[in-house]
Amino acid sequence: MSYIVPIGPYHPALEEPIHAKLYTEGEVIRDAEVFVGYNHRGIEKLATERNAIQTLVLVERVCGICSHSHALTYAMAVEAINGIEVPKRGEYIRVITAELERLHSHFLWLGIACHIIGHDSMFMHIWDERELVMDLLEKMTGNRVNYAMVTIGGSRRDVSDELRREILDACDKLTGPLNRITEIALTDKTIAMRTKGVGILTREDALRLGAVGPHARASGVDIDVRRDAPYCSYGDFEFGVPVVESGDVFARVVVRALECYESIKILRQALENLPEGPINLGNKLVKIKEGQAVARHEAPRGQLSHMVVGNGSLTNHRVSVHVPSFKNTPTVPFMLRNNTVADAGLIIASIDPCFSCLDR
Amino acid sequence: MISLQEYKRIDISKDQIVPIAEKMRKEGHYLVMIHAFINKDGEMDISWDYAVNPAVESYHVVGEMSVPSIGEIYDVAAVWPERELNELFNIQFEGLDTSQRLFLPEDMLETQGRGQIMVTPLSELVEKNKKEARS
Repeated sequence: MSYIVPIGPYHPALEEPIHAKLYTEGEVIRDAEVFVGYNHRGIEKLATERNAIQTLVLVERVCGICSHSHALTYAMAVEAINGIEVPKRGEYIRVITAELERLHSHFLWLGIACHIIGHDSMFMHIWDERELVMDLLEKMTGNRVNYAMVTIGGSRRDVSDELRREILDACDKLTGPLNRITEIALTDKTIAMRTKGVGILTREDALRLGAVGPHARASGVDIDVRRDAPYCSYGDFEFGVPVVESGDVFARVVVRALECYESIKILRQALENLPEGPINLGNKLVKIKEGQAVARHEAPRGQLSHMVVGNGSLTNHRVSVHVPSFKNTPTVPFMLRNNTVADAGLIIASIDPCFSCLDR
Repeated sequence: MISLQEYKRIDISKDQIVPIAEKMRKEGHYLVMIHAFINKDGEMDISWDYAVNPAVESYHVVGEMSVPSIGEIYDVAAVWPERELNELFNIQFEGLDTSQRLFLPEDMLETQGRGQIMVTPLSELVEKNKKEARS
């Protein structure tokens, strides 16, 4: 028997609103469609009414998980238009915040994945460890989300020597639990049974459909903006880009777990070699020169790009925000095909979707 | 060394859109995004941005409201941005299926099926809503 099974826009298995139509034969999904737009807030339009500093505050509100990524990418685009050179210490602090954000984002997703597959003790264990990262972010920035660490021309807050040592200690503290989490993720029977061979996206499809971030890397696509188009001093750091070939949900778990190690590696290098000097160019309100630029950043979910057009005034002429979920969500129907309805929620969640980002 | 990402603007004609997309796809370059904005002369400026690492190559077509779709070449990586721009700016992508909305419902209050609030300056929209409230 053929059925159309609607999931969402509000559904217990989904973190945020998306509507999916599953075309099924019995338990098996033969085709699927996804519908988005439930979180549209007109942020790009609002940005055209605001100056650069106000826009930083606005774009941070695109997403509660990768708020720093949005502010950073917007700032990079404005700095490119205006030819602003960010002081090295400011760049390193941006990197530190970005990598802490990646850690908490990956821990969050790993926990949610475990929750969806019914491994709630693992979910609680991972989220417990995530709190250490959240505490550091709060201590460093004053906030658990929307860190407000970026300003045009640098970072807004410095990292004291005491805090620098505390984050370095935390890197050591995190490694033990991360080893344990990775070991469980790689060996636990429940996780393996629910994720291996489920929701496969082949390398060819990932390339053709334009998947980005950990989602693409779990399908064997070796891309990472931090390495391929270094920015913000990422060229100073040695780190690996984990790539797994199998393209299933299990591969997405593995890639994200391994990326946590790389983030810790970057954090250690940035903190140990934190340059002396100013962190910004003085919190000035700049006119955005006539011109345009596209800035790219490897956000926790993948490549994030902001295009900014300036017209010589204080406000933006146009801001166009394009997020990893905009690239990864269209791949979902391809991953759902020939899987069971019971796995649909997990497969959709496996791209670590953010519909607040996607809809803007 | 200060690290600003390189951004190259390259102006092209409408006829070059598809051949460039084919070349980029063949060479394995990612389509970063398709953007559009109305420039200071009031013309539509559409850009196809490709990651030719470490730079972004941005191919611009100015003054066209109807351009070919590259959905056949870049699949949904192009189709979604094209559908978005069709809804935002009413740009016609030849060959693009626009039978369904990507983001916004036809009956959205402010837009009445003509796109989202992006196409109307916010100040005008506020005035319009005030007028409607008065009447």
